[in-house]
Amino acid sequence: MVDLARVQKELQECNRDVEVSGIRVSPKADSLTNLVGTIPGPLGTPYEGGTFKIDITLPDGYPFEPPKMRFATKVWHPNISSQSGAICLDILKDQWSPALTLKTALLSVQALLSAPEPDDPQDAVVAQQYIREQNTFVNTARYWTEAFAKTSSLGVEEKVQKLVEMGFPEDIVRSTLEAVGGDENLALEKLCSA
Amino acid sequence: MSRKSVLCKFFAHGACLKGDHCEFSHDWNDPQNNICTFYQQGACAYGSRCRYQHVKVSRSQSSVSNHPQYLQSEPILAGHPSGASSVVTGHASGVTTDSSLSSRSLLPTDKQPWGEMVGQEVISDISHIRERSCNPADRPICSLAATGHCHRGEMCPHIHGDLCPTCGQHRLHPFRPQEREDHFKSCQRSQKHLEALMHSDEIECSVCLERVLSKPKAAERKFGILSECDHPFCISCIMNWRSSSPSSGMDVNSALRACPICRKLSYFVIPSGIWYSSKEEKQEIVDRYKSKLRSIDCKHFDFGNGACPFGTSCFYKHAYRDGRLEEVVLRHLGAEDGQTVIVKNIRLSDFLSNLQIR
Repeated sequence: MVDLARVQKELQECNRDVEVSGIRVSPKADSLTNLVGTIPGPLGTPYEGGTFKIDITLPDGYPFEPPKMRFATKVWHPNISSQSGAICLDILKDQWSPALTLKTALLSVQALLSAPEPDDPQDAVVAQQYIREQNTFVNTARYWTEAFAKTSSLGVEEKVQKLVEMGFPEDIVRSTLEAVGGDENLALEKLCSA
Repeated sequence: MSRKSVLCKFFAHGACLKGDHCEFSHDWNDPQNNICTFYQQGACAYGSRCRYQHVKVSRSQSSVSNHPQYLQSEPILAGHPSGASSVVTGHASGVTTDSSLSSRSLLPTDKQPWGEMVGQEVISDISHIRERSCNPADRPICSLAATGHCHRGEMCPHIHGDLCPTCGQHRLHPFRPQEREDHFKSCQRSQKHLEALMHSDEIECSVCLERVLSKPKAAERKFGILSECDHPFCISCIMNWRSSSPSSGMDVNSALRACPICRKLSYFVIPSGIWYSSKEEKQEIVDRYKSKLRSIDCKHFDFGNGACPFGTSCFYKHAYRDGRLEEVVLRHLGAEDGQTVIVKNIRLSDFLSNLQIR
């Protein structure tokens, strides 16, 4: 059974210094076993300025088993799958310790963003690019950050305007944006496929 | 049965205040008086569930018994003060008050040495007591004065003790240096324990993030001390972690047996009710735990019938039924690659494996 008392404590603790760390953890629905964490992209990296969402699922054995974490925001990084968002990080696997918390694990993920490990890749394509064409890698990573990790920073009106400029009728844009919860990329996908 | 040959019940619980001056035996070899006084008098409300023996003892065996009430009733065994008092507390109170009242009224006023505890004691030899009281070292300490105020003041037949600086009570016997010393030591020990407990109360387990001593279940209010580092955990969390089945790629030694915080490898966990504040205190807890386990027979060894997988490193006692301890002769075998292999018993597998014994 998941130690819910501990999870609750962790959430409180994490939300207490959210201004300092920038790391947020909140429950997805009523259940405390499905959570969403957000981390700011580290400064001085191609991920700077982005806000990355991470899906967290707590297994039954938590905290004696590591939490399952996956990037919900698309990210271009050698140790994170560009397709599924799977994270390759030792502390989320065999190096997990029950003294680690969701916050410390997210901090480690944030550190992973600023220090890629191309020798132990999760996404071979990205890792190849990182090793061979560093400039292209930085540009792609920055572009992905701009495209996928910054949407929430725009206001609703700006998003609407952006999509209207692309040639979609305003009322459909508004309803579609509402339907997907304000994510302009998802809205764009939906509008295109409609 | 003489009192000196009956094991003192308070001593058996480690709490006899009389020390060398106790009229009962402080020798573990002496038998305890386990006879139910209520059964002796005719009726024991506990019947077959009574903790004490239901046997009739003839009057010839009792040494002290000229109390009128006792004479009226069935012949009884000499009233063991401690035995009687513990029986009294467990039994119907009606009988108790009767007998204690009548015995009090008959007691010489200058002999009520241990207050409530020996209210049942019947002392007939008044002259003996008077004689004893002459020597101040023989006079027991006044329990009323010890805990507060004795209304008898100067008239009190008992010694009013000196103030103990640690517990703040008048419990130091002025004429019994050994008893003073004992009280002093035990008082300081309990004071230290109290301080340690206060200090331990603040400490949180790093896994469940709760204060260990405030956990909901009483059984969980214990620390699990790691032998090699000083990070605090509650016993259930650390044992849970160490016994969890390693997931793929997890190494037992580097992950599970390591401290969750500093990852230092510890081979064993010591349960403890208090947390320590110095290395010496930790060593004391470890030593106490180990010596306790050494007195328990190993269930794997099973008095020589089984084989203990922990061998010579086992914390439990490896003794045969006759009390003889297991003697282990370790054989050092030189393997082909120059390494030394330590083996206990010669097993066929030693020869079957590719280990080459010179």
